Amino acid sequence: MLANLLIGLREGLEAALVVSILVAYLVKSERRELLPRIWAGVGIAVAVALAFGAALTFGPRGLTFEAQEAIGGTLSIVAVAFVTWMIFWMSTAARGLGAELRGQIDKAAEGGRWSLVVVAMLAVGREGLETALFLWAATQAGTRDTVGSVTPTWEPLVGAMLGILVAVALGYLIYRGAIRLNLTVFFTWTGAFLILVAGGVLAYGLHDLQEAGILPGLHNLAFDVSDAIPPSSWYGTLLKGVFNFSPATTWLEATAWVLYVVPVGALFLLRTRSTRPARPSRQLQEH
Amino acid sequence: MRKTPIAARTLVASVTALAVVPMLAACTENASSGEDGKKGGDARTLSVGSSADACELSATKAPAGTLSFDVTNTGSDVTEFYLLGADGLRIVGEVENIGPNLTKKLTVNAPEGDYFTACKPGMVGEGIRAPFTVTHSEQEQQVSASDQELIDQAQANYRAYVQDQSAQLLEKTKEFVQLYEGGKDDEARGLYPVAREHWERIETVAESFGDLDPKTDAREADVDFAAGEKWAGWHRIEKDLWPQGAKGYTALKPAERTTYGDDLLANVTELDKRIQATGPDALTYPIDAIANGSIGLLEEVANGKITGEEEAWSHTDLWDFQANVDGARVAYEGVQGLLEAKDPALAEELTAKFDALQAVLDQYRDGDGFVLYTALEPADTKKMTDAVNALSEPLSKLTAAVTS
Ligand SMILES: [Cu+2]
Repeated sequence: MLANLLIGLREGLEAALVVSILVAYLVKSERRELLPRIWAGVGIAVAVALAFGAALTFGPRGLTFEAQEAIGGTLSIVAVAFVTWMIFWMSTAARGLGAELRGQIDKAAEGGRWSLVVVAMLAVGREGLETALFLWAATQAGTRDTVGSVTPTWEPLVGAMLGILVAVALGYLIYRGAIRLNLTVFFTWTGAFLILVAGGVLAYGLHDLQEAGILPGLHNLAFDVSDAIPPSSWYGTLLKGVFNFSPATTWLEATAWVLYVVPVGALFLLRTRSTRPARPSRQLQEH
Repeated sequence: MRKTPIAARTLVASVTALAVVPMLAACTENASSGEDGKKGGDARTLSVGSSADACELSATKAPAGTLSFDVTNTGSDVTEFYLLGADGLRIVGEVENIGPNLTKKLTVNAPEGDYFTACKPGMVGEGIRAPFTVTHSEQEQQVSASDQELIDQAQANYRAYVQDQSAQLLEKTKEFVQLYEGGKDDEARGLYPVAREHWERIETVAESFGDLDPKTDAREADVDFAAGEKWAGWHRIEKDLWPQGAKGYTALKPAERTTYGDDLLANVTELDKRIQATGPDALTYPIDAIANGSIGLLEEVANGKITGEEEAWSHTDLWDFQANVDGARVAYEGVQGLLEAKDPALAEELTAKFDALQAVLDQYRDGDGFVLYTALEPADTKKMTDAVNALSEPLSKLTAAVTS
């Protein structure tokens, strides 16, 4: 039970966090009218993923391993581009708040509004296919005949569902916590946090491509702390779910992570700093 | 609205991509699951049971083509299942995140060759491994006659090369063990990297014997002493011959030397016996295994030799480096004729990159051998890494190109 719950939690966590931050942002900046677009993006992603999961599980054709990894890896890298875009869109739009130019900025952000659907869709859809395959496998487990020592049971499905629910609950808590912060503080923290998340997604995407043999260096490890942080432990699961942290990380992943997080983070902090030069940036010292 | 916002178009494109990509991307037949072909079962559908301490397959052989593995987790921890290439490194296919009580399917397209299967309960470590064989089958692509001639030629040549190197390895190992056990340390130190060259040239073949490789070539860092594993083989003797780098090291007594020396010779003898075997036990070297061997040997260079990890005590890493490159080049040249027919540009690039790498290595020659790893500056290893990377990128396309 616990193991399947942790898998559900892990798969759901990152998507729940990104979506809850988006929702919190729109609510705080009084753009509630855009919320349906977020839910539309989430809905599309869930529907598409479940449909493909079902087609691949029960249909006559399956995906080769290379194709699965290539799709996962490519979607990850696209997702990073969109989340990065979102971080800077939020920062630009937040700057205009309270200013008399608000209307103009909203107009400029019209394109951005649509991209919100894409961000929500990618955040959910990225792990979606794998999660869907997992859920369908769990459904089969409840209905199949006894296989060797394994008897039919709904336990895996219940566990995975509970995990996803916990992830959604955690996302909701983030949203509630964020709702009470002031917007500048909120977006400095979430922006920095999302950069770390996106760095992890990038590294993970590259790892998938390494596993598929599209990129080299799968066995050149920068570090391996699997002994200290077992991937199936609850804290390993959390680190993986939130930051895509892998206890055994290749050089390519580590390099990409640093090359993404350092310049993007620096640019982001520079921009945030310039919006409120008067206040000592206590929040900025988190990393 | 004046015009469709760019992002709206991006959105449409993304939704379409999300929907279409899985269709276009190498879809593959789901192998029929037993029911319709119950008589004799479907040899391409295998079941795997992964528990906390076992990885049970319904068969250890399957005919080439689309294989599917139904992996059931019978343990209590999350597990993974891998199909690995003959080098034990290349991932042919994997399924991750198999929770307790769950069955997940891995579908792969596997050509004839040697493989390893591995279950990884808890998702850590090497996993529980076992050899797996994919046998010849009609479903595999037919090759044209002239190609077939080139392939047969390449396989025969490569077998001869491996057998020759193995015989020389055994010869030199005998000599080396005699010197070492007889206390002639200086001469033993001189012969050490020379004897090992023959091992390193055919390392991917030697490593395919999962039982012999750790006994023969394990490095100290890779031995799990806490779990009661014993350390023997080349590198155990290496440490005893070059104890300067080891703090508080106690030299082996003559009786212990005999134990380790005889053990090494016994394992190398066994290796040679298996390599020279004829008849049903004879090793086969399918064309993709030869090409993958070339790739694998270059990976050995990148993973152990450029880093100086392999010869932690003697620092004779460049001997091994050269030998790995020799082996990779011979394997490549074996399939070069075939490659020239299929992708002449790749063949030309590979030949040039092999030459460039050799030119870098030649700068570090010293007499009959090479300078010690400890004499290298970071700039030197950087040069080598660059040359290896420049080669490994095109080389990674070799197998696909010759088997296409
Ligand atoms: Cu993967």
